[in-house]
Amino acid sequence: MTEKTILVADDETHILNVVSLKLRNAGFNVLTAQDGQEALDIALAEHPDLVITDYHMPLLSGLELSQRLHAEPSTAAIPVILLTARGYHLESRDTEQSGILRMLSKPFSPRHLLATVTEVLGTTPMLTGTTGEQ
Amino acid sequence: MSRTKLVFAATLATLAGGAASLCWAFVHATNASPSPRALLAATVCFLISAIGGIAVMGILRRDCNTLTARLRASDGPLQPAARSLPQGGFAFLQRALTELADSAERAVHDAAFRTKELEVQLKVATAERQHAEAIIYSISDAVLVTDAFDELVLANDAAARTFGFELGAATHKPLDQVLHDPMVIGMIRQARRGEGESSRRVIEHTLHTGTGDRTFKVTLSAVAAPKSAAAPERSAGPAGVVAVLHDMTREKEVAEMKNDFVSMVSHELRTPLASIKAYVEMLIDGEARDVKAQGEFYEVIQNEANRLGRLIDNILSIARIESGLVRVTRQPQSLSVIVKDAIEVIAPQAKQKQIALSEKLTPVFYQTLADRDMLHQAVLNLLSNAVKYTPVGGAVSAEVDVNEAARKVIVRIIDTGVGIPPKDLPFVFDKFYRAEANSRMASGTGLGLSLVKHIIETVHHGRMLLESQVGKGSVFGFELDLCE
Repeated sequence: MTEKTILVADDETHILNVVSLKLRNAGFNVLTAQDGQEALDIALAEHPDLVITDYHMPLLSGLELSQRLHAEPSTAAIPVILLTARGYHLESRDTEQSGILRMLSKPFSPRHLLATVTEVLGTTPMLTGTTGEQ
Repeated sequence: MSRTKLVFAATLATLAGGAASLCWAFVHATNASPSPRALLAATVCFLISAIGGIAVMGILRRDCNTLTARLRASDGPLQPAARSLPQGGFAFLQRALTELADSAERAVHDAAFRTKELEVQLKVATAERQHAEAIIYSISDAVLVTDAFDELVLANDAAARTFGFELGAATHKPLDQVLHDPMVIGMIRQARRGEGESSRRVIEHTLHTGTGDRTFKVTLSAVAAPKSAAAPERSAGPAGVVAVLHDMTREKEVAEMKNDFVSMVSHELRTPLASIKAYVEMLIDGEARDVKAQGEFYEVIQNEANRLGRLIDNILSIARIESGLVRVTRQPQSLSVIVKDAIEVIAPQAKQKQIALSEKLTPVFYQTLADRDMLHQAVLNLLSNAVKYTPVGGAVSAEVDVNEAARKVIVRIIDTGVGIPPKDLPFVFDKFYRAEANSRMASGTGLGLSLVKHIIETVHHGRMLLESQVGKGSVFGFELDLCE
C-alpha cells in the first residue's frame, strides 16, 4: 500500500502533536502547519491525500482553508476533516462547497479520529508500530 | 270691597268721567254760551275721571313695588310663597313678569353652575396634562406625540437629542420639518392612517445619527379621538400618534458579546480539555513509545489541566468581583515574588512558541498591601496575553520598578508582539472586548484584561498602564502604592 500523506493544521501545539503521533503510529506520512496560511501553502505544494484542520486558526480559518483548497483545481479533490472546539454547526452548503467530509468536535478521541481517517481514505491502518515524534 | 272690584270701579269712573268731559267739550265747542249746569256736570265728570285714574295708578304702583321687593329678597329661584301674587287687576301681567324673572333666574344659576363645573374640569385637565408631560419628560426613551395633522404636539429631551432638533422651536411644526428620517415620518403617518381605534405597533429601526448607526425599538400607538355624542357608534378617527423610541443598540451589542462569550468560553474550555483527553487516551493505548514520551504526555496533561483551572478562575473571579462577593485578604506582598511565580507558570507556554522570557525585579523588601492570589492572577493574565500575542521567536520581559519618591511600585510586562491598533486601545479593558485585528492571532474570552483592571483598580485602587504600537509590541502594566 502506498503511504498516504496527511496534512494536519492546528494552532494548538499539543493537539497538533498528538494527532500527528497517532497518525504516524498508524503508518501515515504526516505534514504539520500551525496556521491556515501555512497549511494552504503546504497543501498547494505537496497535494496531500487528506487535510485534518482545526476550525479556529490564525490567518485563515479551517473553513476558509477548505474553501480555498476546494476552489483550486489541483487541490479540489482533497478531502477535509474539520476539528472544531465550538460545537460549531456548519451549513451543508458550506461543507459542500469546501470539500469537508467529516467534522469532529473537540474534545475528540484520537482512536475515533484514526477510524474516521481510514474510512475517508478507504485504507486500513498499517499498525507498523512505528512511533512518530512527539 | 275687594281689590278687584275697587280697581274695576276706579277704572270705570275714570272712563266715564273722561267720556262726560269729552261730551262737554264737544257741546262747548258747538255752543257759544253753555249753561252753568252743564259746566258743573262737566267739572264733576272730570274730577271723577281724575280720581279714578289716580286710584288705578296707586294700586298698580303698590303691586309693582311688592313684586320688586320679593324678587330682591329671594336668593335663588322664587319660593312658592313668593310666587303668591296679588289677585285681580293686572295679575296676569305680574304672573308673566314673574315667570320671565324665574326663567331668567334659573338660566343665570345654570350658567354659573356650568361655569364652575368647567373651571373644575379645566383644572383637572391641566393637572392631567402636566402629569402626562412630567412622565414624558422623565422617560429616557425618545417620545414624540403628534396630532391628526402630523404636527408635533409634544416631545421630550431624549427625542430632541436623538433627532437633533430644538425642543422649544419644534412644537406645533409639521413632522417633516422636525425629523429628517423619512422612515420614522412614514411610520407615524401610517400609524395615524390606521384603523382609527387605538392600535399599537412595534418596529425595529436603525437611525443614522452623527455618532453612528443606532438601533431603536419604535412603539407606535394611534390615539383615537373621542367619539361624537351625536353618533357614538361611528369611529371618530385618530387624534394623533404617540411614538416611543427605545435605543437598543447597547442591548444588542451586549447580547452579541454574550453570544460571542459563550462561544469563546466553550472554545477555551474545550481546547485544554481536548488535549487532556487525547493524551490520556494515548497513554492508555500505549502510544507513548518510552518512559520519556510518557513523562512528556503527563506534563502536557498537567499543564493543560492548569490552563483549564486558570480559565475557570478568571471566569469565577470576574463574576465574584462584579457581584461584590469577592473576599479580599490584604497583606504586605512583594510584587517581585509574585511576578517571579507567574513567570514560572507561564514558562511552558513561552517555551512552546520559542519566546524568550526575561525578568528585571526589585529587592523583596519593597512591598505593597495586596491580595496575593489576585495579584498573581493579574500578572499571570498579562504574561499570558503577552505570550499569546507575540509571534514565535519573540521576547517577553517582566519588570518591577519602584518610585520611592512617589511611594509607588510599578510592574511592566513588555512584549515584541503584534501591538494594538490605536482605535482599539480605549476598549481593551472592556469585558468581552477583543481587538478584531488580533482576534485571529489567538483565541480568548475577552475576560482576562477586564479582570486585571478590576483587580488593580477596583480591588487595590491602583492604576493600569498601557502603551502599544502596531507591529512593535505592547507594554501592559500597573502601579500600586508601596506600604510602609
